[in-house]
Amino acid sequence: MIKVENLSKVFTKKDGTNFYAVDRINFNAGDGEIVCLLGVNGAGKTTTMRILSTVFQPSEGTAEIQGWDIKKHPGKVRENIGFLSGDTGLYDRLSGREFITYFGRLYSIEDSVIAKRIKEMADLLDMNEFLDKKIGFLSSGMKQKVSIVRSIIHDPPVMIFDEPTAGLDILTARNIVSFIRDCKQRGKCVLFSTHIMREAERLADRIVMIHKGKILADGTLEDLRNISTQTDLDDIFVFYINQYTDEMELRANEF
Amino acid sequence: MNFKHSLVIYRKELREVLRDKRTIFTTFILPIILYPFIIVGFNSIMIRQTKSLEERGATVAVQDSVNNNISRQFIQDLMTIKNYTIIPYTKTTPRLYEDKDIQSIVTICDSLGSDGTQFFKVYIQYDKSKDQSRMVFNKLSEQLSQTEKELQKEFLQSSGISPDFLNLIDIRERDTSSAQKKMGMILGMFLPYIIIMMLFAGASIVAADLVAGEKERKTLETLLVSSVGRLEIVCGKYLTIITLAMLNMIVNLFSISFSLRFMLANQNTEMAGVSLPVNAILILLIAMIPLATLFAAILLSISTFSRNIKEARSYEQPLLIIAMLLGMVSFFPAIEISNLLALIPVVNIALLFKAVLINEYAFSHILITIFSTLLLDLIAILITIKLFQTESVLFRTEEESGGWKVLKRKPKTFFNPYNGIFYFSIALIVLYYLGSYWQVKDLFSGLIQTEIIIIALPVLLILKLLRLKPKEVLRLKTPKWHSFLFIPFIAISAQIIASIISQLINIIFPFPEKYLEALSNLYKMNETPWKVFLAIALLPGICEELLFRGFLIRFFEKYSVRWAVVISAILFAVYHLDPFRFIPVLLLGLLLGYLAVRSGSLYASMFAHIINNGMAFVLVTFSNAGWVKFIAKDGENINYWLIAPALIIFCISLYAFHKVTTKGEDKCVE
Repeated sequence: MIKVENLSKVFTKKDGTNFYAVDRINFNAGDGEIVCLLGVNGAGKTTTMRILSTVFQPSEGTAEIQGWDIKKHPGKVRENIGFLSGDTGLYDRLSGREFITYFGRLYSIEDSVIAKRIKEMADLLDMNEFLDKKIGFLSSGMKQKVSIVRSIIHDPPVMIFDEPTAGLDILTARNIVSFIRDCKQRGKCVLFSTHIMREAERLADRIVMIHKGKILADGTLEDLRNISTQTDLDDIFVFYINQYTDEMELRANEF
Repeated sequence: MNFKHSLVIYRKELREVLRDKRTIFTTFILPIILYPFIIVGFNSIMIRQTKSLEERGATVAVQDSVNNNISRQFIQDLMTIKNYTIIPYTKTTPRLYEDKDIQSIVTICDSLGSDGTQFFKVYIQYDKSKDQSRMVFNKLSEQLSQTEKELQKEFLQSSGISPDFLNLIDIRERDTSSAQKKMGMILGMFLPYIIIMMLFAGASIVAADLVAGEKERKTLETLLVSSVGRLEIVCGKYLTIITLAMLNMIVNLFSISFSLRFMLANQNTEMAGVSLPVNAILILLIAMIPLATLFAAILLSISTFSRNIKEARSYEQPLLIIAMLLGMVSFFPAIEISNLLALIPVVNIALLFKAVLINEYAFSHILITIFSTLLLDLIAILITIKLFQTESVLFRTEEESGGWKVLKRKPKTFFNPYNGIFYFSIALIVLYYLGSYWQVKDLFSGLIQTEIIIIALPVLLILKLLRLKPKEVLRLKTPKWHSFLFIPFIAISAQIIASIISQLINIIFPFPEKYLEALSNLYKMNETPWKVFLAIALLPGICEELLFRGFLIRFFEKYSVRWAVVISAILFAVYHLDPFRFIPVLLLGLLLGYLAVRSGSLYASMFAHIINNGMAFVLVTFSNAGWVKFIAKDGENINYWLIAPALIIFCISLYAFHKVTTKGEDKCVE
């Protein structure tokens, strides 16, 4: 379960001015639910996910993962999440098995358990052929499979995917999509970010639209359709952005 | 912190490193091949070369202006030298010498001694810069002195004196050094340098890759979101670098010692078969570990700070040069380790190795060396951990290229740490060359020129150029008048405390005589007192404050004003180019920075600076006055008991100052 409360992240620019990458956002994601963080590049998706995975400290507000506060118990939070992004690198000189085992050990899982899980997942994802080859020799699809196993080696209840299909070919992207569905079936709480409308449409139970660090909309596709009176997600997205821009201009005129 | 996690990281990093063929080649294979090749190969080439030079012989032209029996005897004997051709001097001889067809020209002249006996002057013309030519000279002079000896013998015999008279003194050396010590002396020259370089090289093989490389390959984020803590990551990577540094050094040393042994055994000198005592080797190894950890910590912090491997490598370069220069100290024969030198990183290890190799070292040197190195090591590690917790460093993006246009639009972007360090370095170089040149020419006018032209003027010019208001940037604001009341008390008590600290340092690490002389000369210029006051108190107080507390401090204020005060104080201490006064000057810099920032007015720190320097001047100038004797016995050393009242006055006046000034009076440059 993910609970985000009033979360903000302020960066200081080179010229000394402050800039809100994430601006007092609130949203939840429950177990067995797929929530999509939808927004254009630079909307604040990655920053939000980095805060949730405790890589960044929030400037204001907080969030909870499985009841653990990200500020007070960052270690516990990390134990409860699996993190995967489209452009993650891997260690080329290790084999897939060594790579996964390495992270398993960092989660303090016993070697026998790690081996068992690797076997399960390798059978499932059809990885047995290349699991003992050096990662440097693998194709990007194979690498992504290794990354998938790495992200769930500790069987976390919450999965966070940051633009998981960015830069991947169609076949590999399909693997990821089915993996995300699989996570939902196992009852995991899934949060994924994307700027691709189709992906959000196909996968998400709920869509959280984010723009310039602010949340514009939060609801099922049906909800969003009803409010915006548009059917296509593209049009819904543009509708909300226009609404936001108008509001900003209105406020600017008030001063 | 879970050390198990660090070990997991350590094992994984080592495995990765050992799978990299390039690393294996540079760390293990190259040294094993290289040294035997260089040392043994070089040696045999040298021996062969000398031999061939001898066999080549030489052509020597002889001009005999005496032409008697004796001089002919000289020439006769020169002809007996193997492979040498002796030809008479002709008109063409100088040209042949120019063309290098003749290696040497010998001219024999005669002269009369004071009692009328005849003696010979023999000129040997040769090119000393050439190996072969030097060899010819040696051969010729050797042969000539042998002939001389024989002639003397004949002469003595004919006069009825025993020729043994010629060997009145027979000098024989009795060397008390052992072969082992001699070997230590030779090794002590270059071994420390090699060891330091190898440690650095070994550490730098992996350091850049470990963090900057992970950033570049985008694996760092994956590592950060796993349950491992950042401290554990730093620790695991740190151990990896240390291991590689030590491995590289040990492999290199092993290869060097093997090759050297082989060479010595072939040469049959007394050093053949000599080995270093076990305890020396042990001490070397123990002392090397802190250095390896220091290099590892510094390189790791560089790697953490850098965006990519390339950037990390370019930051490593200057560090390598500094380490090289410091390590070269072992080549200087006169420098020996002392408690003071044991404080300087790298230099201490180089000198300690040297001392251990000739078995002349004190236990205190080892302790100070190890602890001072470990202290720096600790600082570097803490910086790395801090960097690892700084988001802006871990996820640094490409910087906007600045340039003049950006500066013109937003002149305040000029004040960033990079520009600050850059400006400071330039000012330091100018001070070092131009400032000291002026001061050597004439101390009084040199000091004034330095303060105005090097220290103050560029600051005002830059602000003018950037169209910034000096009043605002340099904090040239009038402070509350009552805060000024306390400054004399603060400054005078601080001066006394700083002097006593300086005296205590002098007891532990005595200042060299020459240094003290130079320092007291500063106060005893041949000028009227008010001029001296101008040069050493008034102008420094104004100009140095403009530069350090006014200008330089602004470069570092973006993150924290407190750190800006500390950094400006460090720069202030470095700027004095005086290792003996580093600590007192640093403390003074901290105080002045605090005064300026707290009151929001540079006039406060200027006032304190002038009083501080002025007091030193007064103590020296009026050292004979009764009231000065009360403070300082001889105008130099402050009475120790004064520390108690000085501390009390300092604390009270500083507290009062703190009370009358309120926080937030000062605004940073935004």
